[in-house]
Amino acid sequence: MAQQSKRTLLKGAAATVGAAAFAPHLLAAQPPVRIGYSMSRTGPWTGGAQVSQEPNYLLWAEQQNALGGLDVKGVRRPIELISSDDRSDTETVVRTYEKLMGSDKVDLVLPPWGSNANFAVAPLANRFGYPFLAPTALSKRLVEMKLPYFFLLLQQPKPMCDALVDMLKANGAKTIAVVYVDDLFGLENYAALRVALQGSGITMVEDKSYPAGVKDLSPVLRSMKDKNPDAFVGFTYPPDTILASKQAKEVGFNPKFFYASVGTAFQLYRNVMTPAGAEGVLGMGSWNGKTSPGAKAYFDAHTKKFGGKEPDRWASGATWAGLEILTAGVAKVGLDRKALRDYISNTSHKTILGDIKFTGSENTATPGTVSQWQSGEFEVVWPPKVATAKLNPSKPAWK
Amino acid sequence: MSISAWLELIASGLITGGIYALVALGLNLQYGLMRILNIAHGEFLMVGAYLTWLFQTSYGLSPLLMVPVSFVVLLVLGVVVHFLCFRRLTATSPNLDVFEARGLMVAFGLMFLVQNFASWMWGGELRGYDYMTEPVKLGEAQFAANKLLVFFLALVFSGALIVLLRMTLLGKGVRALMQSPIGAQLMGIDTKRLHPLMFGIGLGLSGIAGALLSMAYTITPFMGQPYTVTALIVITLGGFGSMGGALIGGLFLGVIEALGMHFSNPSLKALLSYAIFIAVLLLRPEGLFTRKGRKA
Repeated sequence: MAQQSKRTLLKGAAATVGAAAFAPHLLAAQPPVRIGYSMSRTGPWTGGAQVSQEPNYLLWAEQQNALGGLDVKGVRRPIELISSDDRSDTETVVRTYEKLMGSDKVDLVLPPWGSNANFAVAPLANRFGYPFLAPTALSKRLVEMKLPYFFLLLQQPKPMCDALVDMLKANGAKTIAVVYVDDLFGLENYAALRVALQGSGITMVEDKSYPAGVKDLSPVLRSMKDKNPDAFVGFTYPPDTILASKQAKEVGFNPKFFYASVGTAFQLYRNVMTPAGAEGVLGMGSWNGKTSPGAKAYFDAHTKKFGGKEPDRWASGATWAGLEILTAGVAKVGLDRKALRDYISNTSHKTILGDIKFTGSENTATPGTVSQWQSGEFEVVWPPKVATAKLNPSKPAWK
Repeated sequence: MSISAWLELIASGLITGGIYALVALGLNLQYGLMRILNIAHGEFLMVGAYLTWLFQTSYGLSPLLMVPVSFVVLLVLGVVVHFLCFRRLTATSPNLDVFEARGLMVAFGLMFLVQNFASWMWGGELRGYDYMTEPVKLGEAQFAANKLLVFFLALVFSGALIVLLRMTLLGKGVRALMQSPIGAQLMGIDTKRLHPLMFGIGLGLSGIAGALLSMAYTITPFMGQPYTVTALIVITLGGFGSMGGALIGGLFLGVIEALGMHFSNPSLKALLSYAIFIAVLLLRPEGLFTRKGRKA
């Protein structure tokens, strides 16, 4: 079995070379648009990066090149992706982008994976004046830095937690138990949840933090089971999301609302838990194939290109929406990065996730959402106006 | 807290501890008996986990069947690795301390090699499958079937190793080798065969641990390192080279962590493990469960 990302990378590279070599001379006459990025292909970030982010870059470049290239103010120019592995190391991310923007002077950059890496390169993007449309950065602090070239596509902790609490309240939950990973992501979400819970009438009966890479959460889950809360909320990363789910099943902890974070929206979750086992589990998700015709087309193209590998139902959608915004922006204003920034900042964008509009750095048009596994699909269930299915307010027993 | 809640907590600690013990056994064989501090131990465990995942998802083979297969594959791999790296080191190192230092460097290299091989071969994504996750009731408490299986097999393999080392001629040879390699050679013990074999068995055990762990956890090419660290703590607790010590040390650490997590916070788990580690190194460096002069 060959490595997926390497294979797709090779394919992408081959497609680029192939397009450049054999496409009509019209295309060959145009210089390529050089787009750089660093991506985690090894190290602990790989799991997220190779699901939510890099496959989308490759698919996008392939699709654009198949059309004759990226539309730069009406002229199609082939896309040349310049990428390297950052080994899940913030230092390497920073150095790579410094090189890409400072000495290679690529035409555009695409963001790296994760809140930490984006946090580190955000000031650089600003210094060099490259617009960044970050799909996998979740941090209030990044928004507060007010960097004009930096845009965050994903819904931030506040809207996500507001939506969650809103849903719990509307469905009669009175008590809640929380676990959160003790890093930037977990802490910010936990803080946002606490704020959202104020005045909601929901009591937090237990809250515990845990370190990333934890191997056993069962003592925590057992003591939560004894307190019998209506809802469990975990601000978790993919391995812990699965660990918490498996161990909740193991100890027989089955609250009416079981919510976990990163990874619930992954195809992996359904594979590992089985569709019956995942039934009723809530999590961070914001779209699926039913959200819009564009989303369906994207979902199908992704699954086809990567041999059955589905995009995740949260950040993958944001990545694709970011690429849609970039494509439209370059078509309209070309590669003038200042103009591109102004375009991104001042336009209401039509994307597969619906309208996206930035207030400062933050995407404030996409509402906070909650999704739920139902019959093998991760359905958006809250708020009702963007829901793809109706919420099941009482999780069935683990299977 | 009620008696049953206590029992449940301790039992869950013992189960986690069983996993720790299983991971530590192979490393203990390599370091405790042969002074090869195999930092890549967790990486070979990862290979065992990937083999199991691969055959389970691609061919539908039962992960249980993959336990002996992983053992054999990694045993052979271990013999090859020993032939390629450590045999030469044994021949060229002037004494055991130099051998240990050089072996550590080689093991670091192996770690990167194996990790990157796996990530090149299978990609860096998280993988996993569903196997024996249904809970089994034991009195009032319940545990996942796969965890109970891991615990049971950890006990079986530790028991088998202890018996092998204590009761058989092979075991006697291995222990003699540890006491004095030259003396053992003079007594006619075939160190040229015994060394690679024991190293291979060490890796084979990591393969078993990997196969079993893949039933309970998600796997990535980078999953190995934390297990190596835990294994190091466990063998320090139990005493280098002592299989019984590794078993008890593993169980002990599991229970301490479970209690610690329950009464404080999982975030403090690492602090707790390292505090015990340091305390043992300071106060009883020969290990908690070894009697002086008695090994294996």
